[in-house]
Amino acid sequence: MQVRDVRAYYETRHGPPIRAVDGVTLDLEHGEILGIVGESGCGKSTLAAVLSASGPPNLQIASGHLTLDDRETVDLARSGGTPREWRGNVVSLLPQRALNSLNPTARIGDYAYDVVRAHNEKMRKREALELAGGRMEQLGLPSRVLDHYPHQLSGGMRQRVVTVIATLLNPTVLIADEPTSALDVSSQKALILMLDKMMEEGMISRIIFITHDLALLSNIANRVAVMYAGEIVEVGTTREVVRRPEHPYSKALIGSTLEPDPEQRGQVIYGLEGSSPDMRNPPPGCRFHPRCPYVMDVCTHEVPPRMDPEHNYATCWWVKKEAEQGHETGGVNRVTDERIAAAP
Amino acid sequence: MSTVFPSAAPDAALDPDAKSSILGRLHRLATQFSPRFWFALALTLAVLFFGFVGPYLTGVEDPDQIVGGLYMDPSADAWLGTDNFGQDVFTQLIYGTRTSLIIGIIAGLVATFIGVVIGISAGFYGGIVEEALMGVTNVVITIPSIVVLILLSIAIDSRSIFAIAIIIGITSWPWTARAVRAQASSVRTREHVDLARLTGANTFSLMVFEVLPYMLSYIVMAFVLQLTSSILQEAALSMLGLGPSDSISLGVMLFWALLWESIRTGAWWAFVPPAIFLTLIAFALLLLQSSLDEVFNPRLRES
Amino acid sequence: MSQFQFYVAKKAGWFLVAFVIALALNFYLPRMIPGNPVDAIVSQMAAGGADAASMEAIYETYIQEFGLDKPLLLQFFAYVGNVFQGDLGTSFALYPADVRGLIADALPWTIALQLPAILVGWILGNALGAIAAYKGGWFDRGGFIASLFLSSMPYYAFAILLLYLVAVRWDLLPAAGGYSFGTEPSFSWSFITDAADHYWLPFLSLVLIFVGGQAIGMRSMAIYELSSDYVEFSRGVGISDSRIVRYIFRNAMLPQVTGLALSIGSLVGGALITEVVFSYPGIGSLLFGAIRQNDYPVIQGITLLIMATVLAANFLVDIAYGFIDPRIRAAQTGT
Repeated sequence: MQVRDVRAYYETRHGPPIRAVDGVTLDLEHGEILGIVGESGCGKSTLAAVLSASGPPNLQIASGHLTLDDRETVDLARSGGTPREWRGNVVSLLPQRALNSLNPTARIGDYAYDVVRAHNEKMRKREALELAGGRMEQLGLPSRVLDHYPHQLSGGMRQRVVTVIATLLNPTVLIADEPTSALDVSSQKALILMLDKMMEEGMISRIIFITHDLALLSNIANRVAVMYAGEIVEVGTTREVVRRPEHPYSKALIGSTLEPDPEQRGQVIYGLEGSSPDMRNPPPGCRFHPRCPYVMDVCTHEVPPRMDPEHNYATCWWVKKEAEQGHETGGVNRVTDERIAAAP
Repeated sequence: MSTVFPSAAPDAALDPDAKSSILGRLHRLATQFSPRFWFALALTLAVLFFGFVGPYLTGVEDPDQIVGGLYMDPSADAWLGTDNFGQDVFTQLIYGTRTSLIIGIIAGLVATFIGVVIGISAGFYGGIVEEALMGVTNVVITIPSIVVLILLSIAIDSRSIFAIAIIIGITSWPWTARAVRAQASSVRTREHVDLARLTGANTFSLMVFEVLPYMLSYIVMAFVLQLTSSILQEAALSMLGLGPSDSISLGVMLFWALLWESIRTGAWWAFVPPAIFLTLIAFALLLLQSSLDEVFNPRLRES
Repeated sequence: MSQFQFYVAKKAGWFLVAFVIALALNFYLPRMIPGNPVDAIVSQMAAGGADAASMEAIYETYIQEFGLDKPLLLQFFAYVGNVFQGDLGTSFALYPADVRGLIADALPWTIALQLPAILVGWILGNALGAIAAYKGGWFDRGGFIASLFLSSMPYYAFAILLLYLVAVRWDLLPAAGGYSFGTEPSFSWSFITDAADHYWLPFLSLVLIFVGGQAIGMRSMAIYELSSDYVEFSRGVGISDSRIVRYIFRNAMLPQVTGLALSIGSLVGGALITEVVFSYPGIGSLLFGAIRQNDYPVIQGITLLIMATVLAANFLVDIAYGFIDPRIRAAQTGT
């Protein structure tokens, strides 16, 4: 799966639009779980909305292309996001607040029937209910939930029901937008196990897992992408990004997570000054430069290039600098290593 | 990159170099609230001016003075002609507006007061008290107030402005009670209330000093609504012939107009102006009430 | 007992209580008139030139009806007993006509006016509101201002303006009455068309204001529903827009049904005066005349009828709501 150059913005009543997603490019292989992490307002939920065409009316898609396996590439700008025929059976959304994501006045079974019916007009209600019931059982839920209304289930159950419904038609990729943020820890675990099982059984083949919980990602994601101010600033395997992040923002993000790991002892833990930029008027050059501890002059007026392939890169001038000097990829780490070494 | 997005003009309000002149500040204040709010406020103030300052500007003491023949056309002497008694319609309009406003304000205050007391008590105490009070409220809401007003108007021996205002007030408070209770229920659970209770404050001071201040915006908006409905209720009552027996109000003007065939004789000046004024008042107040939301909730403002 | 049955029983209880209170108010308030009301009325009639014999008869009937010599509670029971037997007393002004007969003559005109107004107004208003919320654009903006204006205008003000413009100024439709002056009501075609001519203005003045109010309410509810999470999710799993609109409509309807109960109350009140404006021969005009003549039995009969009807309408609407909202219908107590 390839996502290329997605740009989307929110129209505002007065003034410039909010450029929530400003040039996102991603790759996702079969069987992979890609985590997208970033602080609030970095654009990750907007990205999810773009890919699942579920955003509010003032969300406009300026550009973007989506390619999945051997299907025709979709021009996201022209079709206003993923086309309806794809939604649910090729690309599906697992939303954040499952508490209200189900129609409150419809039985779960009826709603599941509507989802199936939207893509397969010929399927009869009984078959659809059997399909849904079977799925529920398979994934650890009693099939009698189909007779219930959403308000009769607990929050954790509702989230899992929503997960089952989102994957009923075996979509190729599931976009999970902060699915665990509203759950208690045991419900979180149940949900993750369910997602694992779905991958194992081949019901879904890729997951984009959006969250701000880095610790969670380090346990379930194969690769991690760090998002800041509407752009992906770094992406790589989980291990690489967590152990040796190359972008200063990723460094700060990861550094702010406390790990009870002896290897981490002696490492400097520092926070960042300032706050995330106003997306109506983002800073010129590298968007992170006003807060970057390693800022150079070039960062303030030139956008850092993407040097490496789409599945493993970091957009920072230091990466280019290091590459020019013939060093291995290590980006800004070299500087920090030197500073640590030089400290008294 | 920026060729993809619509061009972004820098927002002047964020420009630190903009002069903070009086004009500039006024402009910012003016644009902070929506045009709808300013329009509603202007209209309301105009009506209030007409009703309360008008009587002094006309120089006429008694609106019931006979100035001419019956149902005379508007002329330079009588801007809106005369009514079925030969009284000057324009003067009647001014005094009528005043009466309607006075009744509305008094009734509104009474209804708001009752509603607030009941609502805060219900929301604050909860439990059985709340159930009982809300039960009463629900019963009062379902019985249509117009019929209760009719019955009450017949029963009282003098239909003065004050009496009419009181009976309107005591039949229209349920709405406010409901709204206030909902809000009080939620304020009651806030921490500062617990804190005050822990420091030994008694129930009364808890209600007045801890809960009430957070409800002021709701109470003001409720008052505006009560005001509107009271003015219209009085007009309805008057049109049925049960209005104030000693003064002229907009509703009373309509009553006389209906009774004396002004419509059929084409004397539009006798009934169209009061009807328009009633509509105007209702429209202005309702518009004001709906835009008061943004005055109290700065997050809803435009900039 | 299922949740729904419990719901119905609870509502029935409340309405019984409200009805008893309504009866009590209806009974007691007119009795608060100071002095002996019968004396006052009879002396008024003397001033109006009634003859001695009928005055005597009225005096006797009224003493009996009021039962002024018996204790208040007994009077109340007598009154309630009468009401349930359908006896609403005898009119003063139009003696010996009985109140029930007078009301029965006027009622069909009122029902013919109000019932279609409520039904048409509700359906049309909600449909327009939903469409406006969904389509947005100029349809929404223009319609919104119009609806806001119409819904804040009292029924009678609109009636007066319509009457003046359409009937007097432009002379398109008749200005007063339920039918042309001097004709006899019959089931002939000419009478029906004549009555229809007289019907339009009062009907329109009720319906348009009602539509305005409903449209505004529905529009707000639909807009609120449009941004809910289930709409987002439904789109994300590929459910078609038309089906989503159906969800929204169904969910936004629920609070509108609740609101209907209260709107009916205000329409009934407004319709009274609208009838007066158009001299339409319904309950409103009857009431107007009765007030002018201090015909207390008629006034009481009408107010009782209105209270009972509005209460019954509220009750039915509440039951309907409990039926439509699956959250109330489905649950079993104890789950």
